[in-house]
Amino acid sequence: MTGKLKKVGAVLSVLLPMAAAGQAAAQSNNPITIGVLTPLSGTYAPIGQQVKWGTELAVKEINAAGGILGRPIRLLYEDEEANPSVATRKAEKLFQSDKVDFLTGVVNSGATIAVGQVAERNDRLMATTVSLSDAITGARCSPNVFRVNAPGGMQALGLAAWIKQNNPKARVFAIGPDYEMGRNTVDGFVKQAKELGLSVVGQVFAPLGEKDYTPYFGQIRQARPDVLYTSTAGNDTVRLFTQLQEYGLRERLTIVGASVAVTAQNIGAIGAAAEGFVTVAGYSPDIDTPENKKFVADFRKAYNADPDLYGADSYGLIYLYKAAVEKAGTTETAKLRKTLEGFTWQTPQGPKSVRAGDHQAVMTVYVLEVRNGRFTIKEKIDGQTAIGPDTCERF
Amino acid sequence: MTEAIEYLQFVLAPQMLNGLTIGVAVVLVALGLSIIFGLLDVVNMAHGEFYALGAFISMSLYSLGVSFWLALVLVPLIVMPIGFLIERGLIQRVYQQDQRHVLTLLLTVGLSIIMEDAFDLIYGPNTMRPENPLPGSTELLGVIVPNYRLFLLAVGVATIVATWLLIYRTRLGAMIRAAAFDKHMTASLGVPVLRVYAGTFAFGVALAGFAGVLLAPIYSVFPTMGHDFVLLAFTAVIVGGIGSFYGAVLAGLLLAQIQAISSLYISPHWSDPLLFAIMVAVLVVRPQGLFNWMGRS
Repeated sequence: MTGKLKKVGAVLSVLLPMAAAGQAAAQSNNPITIGVLTPLSGTYAPIGQQVKWGTELAVKEINAAGGILGRPIRLLYEDEEANPSVATRKAEKLFQSDKVDFLTGVVNSGATIAVGQVAERNDRLMATTVSLSDAITGARCSPNVFRVNAPGGMQALGLAAWIKQNNPKARVFAIGPDYEMGRNTVDGFVKQAKELGLSVVGQVFAPLGEKDYTPYFGQIRQARPDVLYTSTAGNDTVRLFTQLQEYGLRERLTIVGASVAVTAQNIGAIGAAAEGFVTVAGYSPDIDTPENKKFVADFRKAYNADPDLYGADSYGLIYLYKAAVEKAGTTETAKLRKTLEGFTWQTPQGPKSVRAGDHQAVMTVYVLEVRNGRFTIKEKIDGQTAIGPDTCERF
Repeated sequence: MTEAIEYLQFVLAPQMLNGLTIGVAVVLVALGLSIIFGLLDVVNMAHGEFYALGAFISMSLYSLGVSFWLALVLVPLIVMPIGFLIERGLIQRVYQQDQRHVLTLLLTVGLSIIMEDAFDLIYGPNTMRPENPLPGSTELLGVIVPNYRLFLLAVGVATIVATWLLIYRTRLGAMIRAAAFDKHMTASLGVPVLRVYAGTFAFGVALAGFAGVLLAPIYSVFPTMGHDFVLLAFTAVIVGGIGSFYGAVLAGLLLAQIQAISSLYISPHWSDPLLFAIMVAVLVVRPQGLFNWMGRS
């Protein structure tokens, strides 16, 4: 018992980045280091927290069970600040001076694309568990970048189909944050909606971290929409929804959106204004499988909070890395990449597989609706139907 | 013709009203900044964090069962002694040196970073939001205005007027202005100058804290919220004229109005460049600020 406790203690101290430097030398096997470059401050800090928790929980479990190929995992955190220029600088530091074997955690889509180039230059692999922009595994794909979460395009397809089915004559207005992710998700959704014959009556892009959305309400009122699509995230969604409610616009609109819009982190702050919000995402804590129930219970025990899609996707990624490294027998980039392509692994969400052509994970997605402050599953969409064509031409 | 009236009623008028409420919010933050800037000659880079401090203290008070109305009174009273101690303990120590501007700037930047991280550690990164104490909306001349924004307008105007009265119409205000104008002369007349400085700083940050409580139901509460208004508030202070009371008020309202109306016609991501272009133009053409004809230069 004490031996086991000691072991857990040693593993825990390895997890603490502050203590890591001192502890690393004490480990007999040289650890595998994974850089977690995720927003620890700013608008996206709540997302970064889930990424951190999901990653940490998986690492704890794996280290307690003997690590990967007998080597423990060590995590190194850096604050991404949801800012591509900060992210590239810190990624460079993680690759060059910390010599991390693998990089994860990047949230901002622009940052993911930029950090992908840094990973290529350093000949290391990275993955995102959050970024939505289709470009990451499409027009701007990289042989060194993998994505294990459902991209914007997958969500857009599901949402547009859901609107079409429920209100074929809906007038749709789209709003998104003004950067790579917002532009890409709104464009993707508008394209899907138009293809299905919905009338798109307007779109607007607000700066990331916008404090007051009321200046846009003039445009929204003018367009008289029935459905509002949003890909705002974190605090931005809190403000958008509560200000819509303040101005009496909330009850006149059906709000749908990207999975980043409403999450476990901001749903409490949004309160009643979140009711009825519909999204398409690759995860819900309500997924009724023994694997997921165990994951949710462990997660709650460790962090006193429910996992959301970021936590779940980040958790699953570490198991992908473990399984692939064990199969390849090495962390060496070229061999590991080859193993990862087409690889299928188990996650609390069910099996996922990496599409070889663009490094996008194929996964089941769900139409979710907020009811009484919880996401409830309305429909299930098969991964192969939702994923769309492979548009990556670089490899 | 009816179309024009409809446009005015449903699009332009609500937009201008929104601009006005945002303007009042900006002025509430800018006012404290301008007072500390104008009277103490200290650029308080941590001003936004004091705004956040007010909001976070109010969240703690709510969880103790304190009502919104009581918090509105209590929070400035709690922030004020904190501000007083920070001025006496930190700012005053570097204030007398030659490198005063640089030192106070660096000191308050450091303070802002520490405060922001402290919020994150104590309250966590997740967004919080107090319930709107005045839900619902009122129709004014056919324009729908949320009740809380009307309340914000009224309280904002009352606060601005009260601050003006305090500084320009009371003995205390006269002492503050005198201490700012000529420290040695004022001290020789028996005014405790150092305490007046600390008190002025405390008053300025208490105003920011008050704004924090007032704006939290609309803008929500999270560790980096301090960045939200402070840039616009700085712009208002610079455009209005550094240290000018009227300047900060007028420029704050004007800039928010420009932002609100311009966002109807141009893409919103141009509204910040537009504001800063105005600031640059003002600095080039009239560096003392647009409205700085009555304050000291």
